[in-house]
Amino acid sequence: MRHHLPATTTLALAAILACSTDREATDTTTPGVALLTPGPVSDAGWNAGAYEGLQRIGDSLGLRISHQQTLTPAEFDEAFISYADDGYGLIFGHGFEYQDAASRVAAEYPEVTFVVSGGSRPSANVVALIFQLNEASYLAGMAAGAVTQSGVVGMVGGVEIPTAKGTFVAFEAGVKAVREDATVLETFIGSWDNVSAAKEAAAAQLREGADVLIHNVDAASFGFFQSVREARERGRVAWAFGMNRDQNDVAPDVIVGSAAIDYTGMFLRTAQAWRDGTLGEPVYSGLATGTVEFLPNPAREGLIPADALERIDRARQAIIAGTLEVPSIDFIEKEDPVSSQ
Amino acid sequence: MSTTTLRTRPPLTPALTAATALLATLAVAAALLALGGYSPGDAFAALFRGAFGSWDRFVSFTLVRATPLLLTGLAVAFAFRARVWNIGAEGQLHAGALAGVAVAVALPGTPGLILIPATLLAAAAAGALWASVPAAMKTGMGVGEVITTLLMNFVALFMAQFLVQGPLRESRGVFNQTDEIPAAAHLPDLIPGTRLHLGFLIGVLIAVALWLYLTRTPGGFRLRAVGASPRAAEVSGRFRAKPVVWLAFLTSGAIAGLAGGVQIAGITHRMYENLSPGWGYTAIAVALLARLNPLALVVTAIVFGALSAGGGAMQRDAGVPEVWVRGIEALVILAVLTVDRSWQALADRGSRG
Repeated sequence: MRHHLPATTTLALAAILACSTDREATDTTTPGVALLTPGPVSDAGWNAGAYEGLQRIGDSLGLRISHQQTLTPAEFDEAFISYADDGYGLIFGHGFEYQDAASRVAAEYPEVTFVVSGGSRPSANVVALIFQLNEASYLAGMAAGAVTQSGVVGMVGGVEIPTAKGTFVAFEAGVKAVREDATVLETFIGSWDNVSAAKEAAAAQLREGADVLIHNVDAASFGFFQSVREARERGRVAWAFGMNRDQNDVAPDVIVGSAAIDYTGMFLRTAQAWRDGTLGEPVYSGLATGTVEFLPNPAREGLIPADALERIDRARQAIIAGTLEVPSIDFIEKEDPVSSQ
Repeated sequence: MSTTTLRTRPPLTPALTAATALLATLAVAAALLALGGYSPGDAFAALFRGAFGSWDRFVSFTLVRATPLLLTGLAVAFAFRARVWNIGAEGQLHAGALAGVAVAVALPGTPGLILIPATLLAAAAAGALWASVPAAMKTGMGVGEVITTLLMNFVALFMAQFLVQGPLRESRGVFNQTDEIPAAAHLPDLIPGTRLHLGFLIGVLIAVALWLYLTRTPGGFRLRAVGASPRAAEVSGRFRAKPVVWLAFLTSGAIAGLAGGVQIAGITHRMYENLSPGWGYTAIAVALLARLNPLALVVTAIVFGALSAGGGAMQRDAGVPEVWVRGIEALVILAVLTVDRSWQALADRGSRG
């Protein structure tokens, strides 16, 4: 009797496979671009931005696109190998954590280009994509310095990695450029998606007297904004800044402005450069290329005083001109020979 | 199972139940996918291709993913056989990975013949040490191990976070990860040209060893007797339960710890904060599906490995988001367990004659 079951199962499987035979498994003639993200593309931040960028590459350049969300480092190699095997020529790993796997797999697939956002070890076919978000974060800091009444400003971060830390050192410098005596609080919650931890961290900083808060916690930002909103409902002065992506519409009631990355433009330019064969050295991209920007919340016009806005604009020009250097945290491994091409 | 015939009724019902369960699951999964706007045919085809599409996919993806599940599954099965409900494989795995990486990083320039065994032994020892805490609490104070092993998982996860952010953080001090272990500590490839490392063979050998121990030795008989009924074993006057419980805890912890060491030495070459996607918990399903039989566990671990490798392909080739993939995987696991229980019922009825 027992072998009836395998038979049934086989039938079912065959039926399922039959459903899909009318479609070719993979179309390998169109060049493909793939994206790996460490978190869900519904985070309204880091991952969502990259996913929009990927979609734009598909729409504007007519390239084949695919996306995978990976959970643990053990999956990184597997995903890179699968894409390389399936004829994808440009593969984005959206986060520093993809560096090791990209380097390993890149050695086996010299004809494939790997792009690591926040990468630290560039090589012949591994390109580091560096978003100089610290520049926009500095401008946000200046706005925070102008908006704060208590003189206490808070920063809630996710995992303490150089890119996140870099936005905070710049933000702090921006605050102090406007208000020298300001106190700046900093908390890292150790996670990118722990909504309740982000909420608690923000609430703690509000209790310590902070009235303007910035975050860099990605998907956990919903808890962060909620905390600020609740403080306002209790009649307190409390404002927040968005980070990574233009989040002004995520919480228009509490956001002063966002330090945002134009992922779409950056990904599109990178894919174009790859197609034209000009992609090589680490790509730094900040205010000068329009990749990052500080965007005041249009729903809260007038919140940042006009003279402060003018100062912010002068600082923006100075950063672009190279006369104002924004603090940053460098993480490219200098000791590794960067191949000259 | 006896092959006695003389059945009073044709045992068709369980077979039908199983088939219905499987088909119903597929239908539900397909309906969910269709509701989400994804093609069920493409999704299942991608799942199949990702896990079994080619020899290389099977070896480099499915078997690689099966390896930590096999080791943690064996750890769980061995403990469960002695009626020791070790839910702590996840924590023991983390303890093992931490110890393994610490030893490997601390001994640069050591030849692989010494460094690899040292790394793996450190991992196994740390896993056993982690399991010894609930073992002592159970044998000494009668504290239930379901709670203690589970809680020790959280302690291990936080300890891993602390060590990776602090004392074991990479020497550059930039990212929350340990230094890379020296190349000499990397496990050699089991099949050259693929990603499959020695860890899989270690898992299979341990499976065979555990099976031989359980079925062919007096120690194994004692362990099964205590597992069947600790009170009866004690009352019979021939077995003392305590040493058996200790043996089960320490062996189980050591194998789970080894799983962590194998993953570090074979795949990631570093320790991160999120090393495991929950292998120590999935291991319980892997072990139960194998009915705690170490040899059957090799097969069930591969089934679960295939499911997770196929899940990645569902994302890549059929555009199904990760949360959907995990939902489908859970449905398939439920179906497989239902089918398995139906087979069990069928077998029972058959042997009753």
